[in-house]
Amino acid sequence: MPKVPCILHPLLLVLFFVFTTFLFASSQVFSPATENAAFFKALSTKYEDHYKDELSSLPKENKKDFEEVYKLRWENVKEVFDKKEIYTSAQAQQYLNALVAEIVKANPLLQNQNFNCYFSRSGVPNAGYIGEGIILFNMGLFKRLDNESQAAFILCHEISHFYLQHSEKSIRRYVAAINSQEMQTELRKIKNAEYGKRQQVDDLLKGLTFNIRRHGRDHESEADSMAIEFLHNTRYDVSEALTTLALLDSIDIDTLHIGGCLQKMFDAKDYPFQKRWLAKEEGLLGGHAQLKKDEPLADSLKTHPDCKLRIKFLEPMVSRYCSSTSSKNVVNNSKMIELKNIFSYEIAEFAYTSENYTKSLYYTLELSQGKTADPYLVAQVGKIFNSFYAAQKIHKLGKLIDLPSPYYPGNYNLLLQFVQNLYLENFASISYHFLKQYYPLLDYYPPFTSAYNTSKKISQQ
Amino acid sequence: MNKKFWIATTCMLLAASGVQAQNKLSIDKVYSTYRRNSGTIMENKKIKGYFFLYISDKIDKHTDEYTLQILDENLNKVRDIKFEDSKKLGLLEAAYNGSSLAFLFKNGDNKTLDMKVYDLDGKLKYTYSREYDKRTDDLMKRYETMHTDEGTNQNVYDLGEKGYASVLPLRDGKQRTYEIDYYSSQEKKQWTYTPDDDEERYANAEFLGSTDSLIILEVMKKNRALSGKPSAHLIGINFMTKKKAFDIDNENDEYTFVSSGVEPVKGTDKIMVFGSYFNKGDNIIKDNTKGLAIYGIDSKGNVLTKTYNSWADDFAKYLPTNRKGKIDNIGYLYIHKVIQMQDGKMFIVGEGYKRQANAGGIALNVLGAFAGVRQSAVGVTKIVTTDMVIMEFNDKYKITNATIYDKTNNNAVISAMSDGTSQHAIGLYLKMTGAFDYEFTTGDNDNNNFSVCYSDWVRSSDYKGETFNSIHYNGTKFTTDKIELKSKASTLKVFPAKAGSIMIMEYFKKDKRIDFRLEKLG
Repeated sequence: MPKVPCILHPLLLVLFFVFTTFLFASSQVFSPATENAAFFKALSTKYEDHYKDELSSLPKENKKDFEEVYKLRWENVKEVFDKKEIYTSAQAQQYLNALVAEIVKANPLLQNQNFNCYFSRSGVPNAGYIGEGIILFNMGLFKRLDNESQAAFILCHEISHFYLQHSEKSIRRYVAAINSQEMQTELRKIKNAEYGKRQQVDDLLKGLTFNIRRHGRDHESEADSMAIEFLHNTRYDVSEALTTLALLDSIDIDTLHIGGCLQKMFDAKDYPFQKRWLAKEEGLLGGHAQLKKDEPLADSLKTHPDCKLRIKFLEPMVSRYCSSTSSKNVVNNSKMIELKNIFSYEIAEFAYTSENYTKSLYYTLELSQGKTADPYLVAQVGKIFNSFYAAQKIHKLGKLIDLPSPYYPGNYNLLLQFVQNLYLENFASISYHFLKQYYPLLDYYPPFTSAYNTSKKISQQ
Repeated sequence: MNKKFWIATTCMLLAASGVQAQNKLSIDKVYSTYRRNSGTIMENKKIKGYFFLYISDKIDKHTDEYTLQILDENLNKVRDIKFEDSKKLGLLEAAYNGSSLAFLFKNGDNKTLDMKVYDLDGKLKYTYSREYDKRTDDLMKRYETMHTDEGTNQNVYDLGEKGYASVLPLRDGKQRTYEIDYYSSQEKKQWTYTPDDDEERYANAEFLGSTDSLIILEVMKKNRALSGKPSAHLIGINFMTKKKAFDIDNENDEYTFVSSGVEPVKGTDKIMVFGSYFNKGDNIIKDNTKGLAIYGIDSKGNVLTKTYNSWADDFAKYLPTNRKGKIDNIGYLYIHKVIQMQDGKMFIVGEGYKRQANAGGIALNVLGAFAGVRQSAVGVTKIVTTDMVIMEFNDKYKITNATIYDKTNNNAVISAMSDGTSQHAIGLYLKMTGAFDYEFTTGDNDNNNFSVCYSDWVRSSDYKGETFNSIHYNGTKFTTDKIELKSKASTLKVFPAKAGSIMIMEYFKKDKRIDFRLEKLG
């Protein structure tokens, strides 16, 4: 065997380390956006004033009921601010404003409307109009999109809900329903009945819920149609509405094979992966039961129509409006790509700061696939395991993790079971042996050094 | 006057209901459910879930509709079972065997104990009923008042995939006996075993465990309830053949053996039996034990091995023990739990208790004597529970180590009964009344990791109040942990939960809010 490669090999490694260090240190290491407390306070105050104005203009009839529902809606909005869910990065907000401006500019109907769009740091693939003129575009959805036209369709859909006042109409319909002569007569009948009240209440509630949900589904179809109307006036490609709905149809499909991923990541030479860490019980009471659904009932209670039906419904409009001059990307496609990448990290960071460690671990592991030695992700994995350890030590871990449940997707549920199967010393040792693999490679990155030192300390306790 | 008053009241009521009729109604004003009771669902002596029984509707004069809500071990609602039954229905205990759920109900109308077996989809498979009468009064009292250390089942146990068993104490006049009911979960099949020994005027049975064919009981028998020496029997009932498989009564043994736990050895026919042993002829209620014994038996009841660890010789090497089993500063040891490890090693969890002078009792007695009272209801001594002790045994079941875990000497009994009663009887009384600080032991199925939990009362400069403590074994070493149950913001309560976890109930005074969560131990 020639001796040269033996000398060259370490040299190459050092060069690789130096190069990687330089590369990550200079441009690629993710750094979470700093939370802008003043911005949150100003926004929260602004929308609270809006809410109070709204209350003073509510109809006099059944005012108390209206107030109750509006209060609930406001509390939901307030929680968004309290949890600092809105992404305050100026460059991201500017980009989103530009996407929205393109829609507003092309649609005179929207030009004097008072609404605002924000990115939410939630990893849930969703967007929504939450009241008070606020539209939230979750990072978990944005990062899954292929182009700006898809983002624009989602924005147009939510703007339509705002424009068509769906939320307010639903509240009016609900208040009218519970105060209707018919409902009051039914309730009186139930009140006076000595027997069989539960069945009567169930029937009444079922009718009310079906009615509300049916209108909800009608609202979705209306918002889809209106969104196409808004979108086709812009330079965005209207046909991307259909690809967006197709994407939404499969967005909940779990693609990460968590069992294999955990085994690969936490199988250190000095601390090998243990089979029992993935052990789960299949019975009814172990958290992984296969619960049978009442399909017809579940269908009737759906808030959204089926995506395939939505596509079928929109196809004629889309083909009518398709234009060769439209473009998939209008504002700045490279910015979108950059933001999608940042958002993948931000959702892991936000899940952690909003104290859901298991969600954060899932997003971090998902993002780690195919990325070796990403400083942020490596440090984040260590930080989460160190935090599991610290929280369990003070008996607060139960507040910061999800427990296995038949209602979670299989992969996430297996991750939750994995966390349940670990003991205090496992948290510390997994963290230490995982981080040790990257030492001293990532020693230049302070969050890594901090996590590594903590893991070293706790694994020796 | 009375009549006028009645008319006035009626008018007022009518007026009130008239006003009420104009008021807007909402669902919460016309309908509510009531929780009847709740509890844990057990499998193999471990918590697997929880049940909540609600009265969800009134069907007619005699019938209510019930909703039985099943929560899994992680507090997720997995089933809602609706059924109609008597207004006088109570759910006593629940068990799970992996393929079915069993619930023991008390039906006050029919005066029956009904065992209902459901499949995992919540469909009723079988109902087994037996009448209850004055003979089961003791049992009903036990449900109302008794405390179990594990916070769990008292009389209903799963027998693996085959079904369930209940061991019910019966009392007829002065005679006390028991019966075992077997309920199949695979087919509609039930049978009852009652001891047929005429001499058993007083027999008390305790379920120790089961194998795939045996129900194993420790039965204390004597001819008269209030006097006479009881004899201890280890009884095996074959639930497939419905016959008694063995009755080990120590008759020809050197010592009298009183078992308190069994552990089938996986993959073999062998069953390890743990308990205390006494000198032949000693009274097993009144006299002091000689030490701890471990018997190895087969499924026919043949005793294969006997190992004795005496206080005087074996324990004294590791604990400062005298011949009566009294340990310096700790007092006597009550054995709470035997933990069998896979490598043959074993841990035994004990808690100390001792008699102490009761300053208040002495003062009252002195004052009483001056006043001419012969004896005060408060004794001059009191019983305190002392430290926790964990003893380690090798695969030959000989003690190899013992560690004392300090805790406060907490008052357990302050009454005249503490003055003259024997130490052994006091230990049994403390256990029966839930006066020990030991709470439960929880851990892996193979026991490689386990936590021994106990409560304590701390009086220090930093904290004064109740604490929840655990001694955790991780397969190589023990560590301790403590939760303070009181803070300015909230009050905590700790309950047993799934293996390796506890359930914490946190009450936030300011918000008047109660949160439940599971916390991992160790």
